[in-house]
Amino acid sequence: MDQEIDSFISFKLGEEYFAISVSQVLNILQLVQITKVPTAPDYMKGVINLRGTVLPIIDIRMKFGMDPIQYQRDTVILVLNVVIENEKVDAGILVDSVKEVFEIKKEEIMPPPGIGSKYKSKFIEGIYKMSDERFVMLLDIDKIFSSDEVVMLKETIDSEESSNAKEIE
Amino acid sequence: MDNFQSKFLEEAGDLINQLEQALLTLEQDTQNPELVDSIFRIMHSLKGGGGMFGFENISNYTHKMENMYDLVRQKKLKVTREMLDVTFESADHITSMLNDDGSKAAEIAANEAILNKRIDAILNGDSEVVGAPVTIAANEPAADGVHTFYIKVKPYERIQQNGTNPFFLIDELSGLGKNKVNIFYSSIPDFENFVFDETYIWWEMILATDKGEDAIKDVFIFVEDDCEVNIQNIADADIFPMEGIEPLLVCRHDFPFDLDKIKSLAQAITALEKAKQEKAAKEADAGDEHIKKFTKESSISGIRVASEKIDQLMNLVSELITTQAGLNLYADNHKDNELTRITESLENISRQLRDTAFSITLIPIDYLVVRFRRLVRDLSREVGKEIEFDARGAETELDKTLIEGISEPLMHILRNSIDHGIETAEERTAKGKPAQGKIILQAYYSGSQVVIAVTDDGKGMDLQKIRNKAIDRGLINADEQLSEKEILDLIFLPGFSTSEKVTNISGRGVGMDVVKRKISDIRGTVSVSTEKDEGTTITIKLPLTLSIIDGMLVRIANTDYIIPLSVIDTIFAVEHTKIEKSFNNIINIEGVQYPFYYLRDEFQIEGEKPEREEIIMVKYDDKKIGIVVDHITGEYQAVLKPLGKLYRQQDVFSGASILGDGTVALVLDTHKVINQFTKYNDN
Repeated sequence: MDQEIDSFISFKLGEEYFAISVSQVLNILQLVQITKVPTAPDYMKGVINLRGTVLPIIDIRMKFGMDPIQYQRDTVILVLNVVIENEKVDAGILVDSVKEVFEIKKEEIMPPPGIGSKYKSKFIEGIYKMSDERFVMLLDIDKIFSSDEVVMLKETIDSEESSNAKEIE
Repeated sequence: MDNFQSKFLEEAGDLINQLEQALLTLEQDTQNPELVDSIFRIMHSLKGGGGMFGFENISNYTHKMENMYDLVRQKKLKVTREMLDVTFESADHITSMLNDDGSKAAEIAANEAILNKRIDAILNGDSEVVGAPVTIAANEPAADGVHTFYIKVKPYERIQQNGTNPFFLIDELSGLGKNKVNIFYSSIPDFENFVFDETYIWWEMILATDKGEDAIKDVFIFVEDDCEVNIQNIADADIFPMEGIEPLLVCRHDFPFDLDKIKSLAQAITALEKAKQEKAAKEADAGDEHIKKFTKESSISGIRVASEKIDQLMNLVSELITTQAGLNLYADNHKDNELTRITESLENISRQLRDTAFSITLIPIDYLVVRFRRLVRDLSREVGKEIEFDARGAETELDKTLIEGISEPLMHILRNSIDHGIETAEERTAKGKPAQGKIILQAYYSGSQVVIAVTDDGKGMDLQKIRNKAIDRGLINADEQLSEKEILDLIFLPGFSTSEKVTNISGRGVGMDVVKRKISDIRGTVSVSTEKDEGTTITIKLPLTLSIIDGMLVRIANTDYIIPLSVIDTIFAVEHTKIEKSFNNIINIEGVQYPFYYLRDEFQIEGEKPEREEIIMVKYDDKKIGIVVDHITGEYQAVLKPLGKLYRQQDVFSGASILGDGTVALVLDTHKVINQFTKYNDN
């Protein structure tokens, strides 16, 4: 029991693989009609009815600076329980497809990539190498959702990319 | 914590609430034995409950308070200011003991030591009496109350030779209590037999006194040998207030009182009174039992329910309303008479259930008033001002969530009034106002809203000062032209505080901006009006309930929105071309010019615009402003759901509601829509 094992659920955004601890995933939903909330940032897709409560839906692709999600047959909503400013909040993220649930030992998690990587390391808990040699990025979902970051993330990536670009220059 | 303990905590909270209420009244009416009794009973109940549920410290402490009030009951101790102060602080002390998780034990013990000392001082009589003048009667009243005596005095003829004036005896007896005297002149002799220094008259007296028979005898102590005295206790009560006896007490000189009749009548009336009192006492005792067995007894008039259960009930009712909407939609689409009939009758029941469930969640504002009274009392003494607090319409009921939400803002408003609004007694007298300031809290229903207004008769707000401060703080430009209302609204801006010096009462780092935000959080509005040297009124308007609104369901593109019916004035259909042609967002409808907002544009909704649109006139302060939507679906009972933390920036929506087909509609806060887009368009 001393060996800490955690289960993760992996999903695809574009061609890349990400994973979130199953302890934070409440549900996987088929895509339903999303009510757009005008005046909200673009990555906040709107709200849906989840068994009588109103669930906000986030386009996580846009948060990572990718193109907006294209709804396809495999598109699903992952319902997450995240902590925002010490408060538990349910929210859904749109992902291109859900892959699998797998267990990993804590010691097998590699530290997040350093400077110059494509994604802000602050939001990545670690990296795991799957049996088929693919890398999966384990997300720190609370940090991604934490209030300032929700608004700032895209800009941060943009500015970081541009500052990286400057360094290259 | 086990269930019983938490039950006790809840009950103890109620008891302390009652205690404060009783204390505040006792302060006004220090002689009222019923209040003393009720305080005694509360202490007794706290002691009993504390002992039973393992709060030994509370049990021990309240035991002392109980003793103190027992002495007051027995009239061995008088109610003093210090006693009231100590009891008020004891209420706080008991509350902190109840809430302590062990971390504040030392603090509590220190506080208790101080309080104990003060209680001992009171028990030793080292304090000044409130209300009643501090007079110690020469004749201590006899312990058993007022008796009525018949006194017959026949001075011997020689009495005056002794230097005694028999009339002084009457005077002296009259000093003991209420009386009637009958003087007998019949034995005055003929003139030739009359001796000047002899006394021929005699008298009888009916005297009601609480000083006892011995006090009467004392009057005759020096004349014992000079007259014949007969003292009889004719009733164990004061017979003078007894209406039936009055005719018998008329003085008809030379005709003796009909003593037998008086006696028998007095006896009958006393017995009757006693029976009545016993009955009342029994009822009061029943009240005492009622407090002891609160849970059992109170089932007669009401039951105590955990608030989570009420929340659960409300959630279920909300879901029922949503499901009902789904059923209505299905029945409408299926044109089945039987289905329609059942749906309609079910809808009727759902509505009634909804209304009943809502009424359960309502709590009268009175619940908060006790707390406010206490606040005004404590703070006004702290700042050395005399302030009267008057609560009107305290029976007005509000949703319990609203009651919780409104408490802190109201406290803050009251603090402001006490600290900044009401002037000191000297200032007030100089202005020709009564020295005592007044704060009135008034609550009443107004349509679908509850209005709570706090009015003080203080110095009012200085508009120029507010303006200057706002310029100093960079909130407005020096040359900005503002109406009186706009200037007053500045106080609700963050970073504005009218107080020049920060006091520990209202200057706790929170300003009116926080008050406003907290009130907006519960969908309320706040406004202020003021008159120099007349006072200030702060008016809070709240929705009756938080969770259901009557709305109008409208549609723009493929999204549904709900606009609360309470803000809608009228609705017009308009051709889109008319909107296209309008200049500066002003539209002319039936000869009247209305400003309007085209929501499709404001919300940046793309897609083809319909040829015919609808314009909804909503009330905005005293103006009417149009909001253009594609289509009006109809009236809709919306169960309001929060949009959640992630959408808190989008405050033009006060929430969302789930429609019968399972999709989500957004509830528009038209006031905020207009505010936001006005600002946006101005920039």
